[in-house]
Amino acid sequence: MDVVLQQFINGVTVGGFYALIALGYTMVYGVLKLINFAHGDLSILAAFIGLTVLTSGIGGADAGALLVALAFVVAAALVGVAGFALELTAYRPLRKAHRLSAVVSALGASMLIENGIMLIWGPQVKVFPANLLPHISWSFGGASISFVQVLIIAGSLLLMAGLYFYVHHTRFGTAIRAAAIDQDAARLMGINVNRVIASVFVLGPALGAVGGLFIGLYYREAYFNMGWIYGLNAFIAAIIGGIGNIPGAMIGGLLLGLFNAFAAGYVSSSWQEAITFALLIAILLVRPTGILGERVADKI
Amino acid sequence: MAAGERRASLALARRAAGPVLWLAGLFVPVLLGGSWVSIMAIFAIYAVVALSQDIVLGRAGMYDMGHAVPFGVGAYVTAILNTTFHWPILATWPVAIVVAAVIGAALAAPIVKLRGDYLLVATIGFNIIFVLAMGNDVLGLTGGPDGIFGVGVPHVLGRALSSQGALFYLDWLVLALVLLMMRNLERSRVGRVFRYLKEDELAATTLGVDARYYKILAFAIGAGLAGAAGTLFAVQLASVSPGSFVFTESVTLFAIVLVGGQASIPGVLLGTALMFVVPQVFRGLAQYRYFVFGIAMVLVMVLRPQGIWPRGRGRP
Repeated sequence: MDVVLQQFINGVTVGGFYALIALGYTMVYGVLKLINFAHGDLSILAAFIGLTVLTSGIGGADAGALLVALAFVVAAALVGVAGFALELTAYRPLRKAHRLSAVVSALGASMLIENGIMLIWGPQVKVFPANLLPHISWSFGGASISFVQVLIIAGSLLLMAGLYFYVHHTRFGTAIRAAAIDQDAARLMGINVNRVIASVFVLGPALGAVGGLFIGLYYREAYFNMGWIYGLNAFIAAIIGGIGNIPGAMIGGLLLGLFNAFAAGYVSSSWQEAITFALLIAILLVRPTGILGERVADKI
Repeated sequence: MAAGERRASLALARRAAGPVLWLAGLFVPVLLGGSWVSIMAIFAIYAVVALSQDIVLGRAGMYDMGHAVPFGVGAYVTAILNTTFHWPILATWPVAIVVAAVIGAALAAPIVKLRGDYLLVATIGFNIIFVLAMGNDVLGLTGGPDGIFGVGVPHVLGRALSSQGALFYLDWLVLALVLLMMRNLERSRVGRVFRYLKEDELAATTLGVDARYYKILAFAIGAGLAGAAGTLFAVQLASVSPGSFVFTESVTLFAIVLVGGQASIPGVLLGTALMFVVPQVFRGLAQYRYFVFGIAMVLVMVLRPQGIWPRGRGRP
């Protein structure tokens, strides 16, 4: 088996869902300059919602692909609504307050969601049944790629391409970018900034939801407090790419996934998180605004 | 005349409130006893850590979300020196403070140039790396994921402070000393420089303030105090383990300062009480604890963005 190629495939898979979750962080940060600490937990909430749909038996035994599609749609929709509600109740009242007040509100929201999951689905690890997705894998060049990996890689690339198109080639996408550059100027140009912010809080969590359900399907388990660590990793991915920058989040996600896969494969898995954070600190010191981030003078 | 008198007596009452509450605390072991003694001891320890977090976050204005690290360093230094090398607890104390302060300064030195959120993320990174290092038994001294058991008790003038009550008095005394120190810091030149840096770093540097030096100094002072509390924590629990110093603890400390009120001593003490004492009282509802915490944090911030007890306006 070709280890390098195999680690590459695993890395791109993991990078796919990191990138999807990272997009939510980066979009919110781009517009509000706020680290939405609840975003990781929102994404993982989707894994639980998706699992509930997948094991609900809707459509009988042979619903197959339709049921999987339904799980993604329901999870993304509900989490999108949750993101909207969060913005309305926890962040919007604080838009003019000190930045740290919003950060603490985000931390509170994260605790609330995480423990809400625990109260609803219980504290134990939820296992995804093995028969949810087909057990197919393809071999080539000494490595193998499974069905779920193809699904994740193709799904995340498609969504990222879609988002990129939406943000860069539609009217509303232009409004999002304008609001990210200068809210006051955007408002003067007739852009409804509140709507832009609300939409970012729907789109980001919805994309994160797909990423979260991918995580559940890939590792075939979910536990209530896993949002923190996946959220942190995705957030690191956003910073590596340059926070606030949408293509940056995609590149950062893929790079982090590959880095994790090779670090875990060649160094030691018990130090994996430490290596990730050491990389992050090194990047912050050398190039604080990330790979694609622009140099902003003293405005952070 | 009457109004002036009333104002004067109000100011006196305000000044006296702190010492009176502290003196009242001395009667906790006599009047309440039982679990209240250890709850109040834990409160005193975490209050010291929260006040030290406030030096970095609330006074010098640096977003430090890894303050459990120096707290843990202090606790581990005491535990290792006491159990492996059989030092008396009180002898380990200065070492714990110095090591925590040096590590705090050394970790801060490369990252203080980072702004706002970037600094916050880097400190989160240090916290995660620290916990992994302790859990992976680095150098073979830290006992791995289970930590270190059998930390002894301090001996003062040949008497062992082995009862919970005796430990409480020690913690309570340290809290008083730290509160005095905070008051002095507030009035000192260093305290003013911290505040200036927080309010307007550019203006401070143009007046000749060495921003980098004072930022590292804030981290070193905060870390040293947290290390001092770490020693007390190791003694109180008679053990240390990585779980006590995880990132969530740093988040809680961070939230205490913001929920209570930045650079406000009563605010930070109130925040500590809310985050560490209230949960102890409602232990039966443990599984709802963080759920309610989450709601409370959002609510407090939305209703009182400056914290519950903000620093008085126009205070020096």
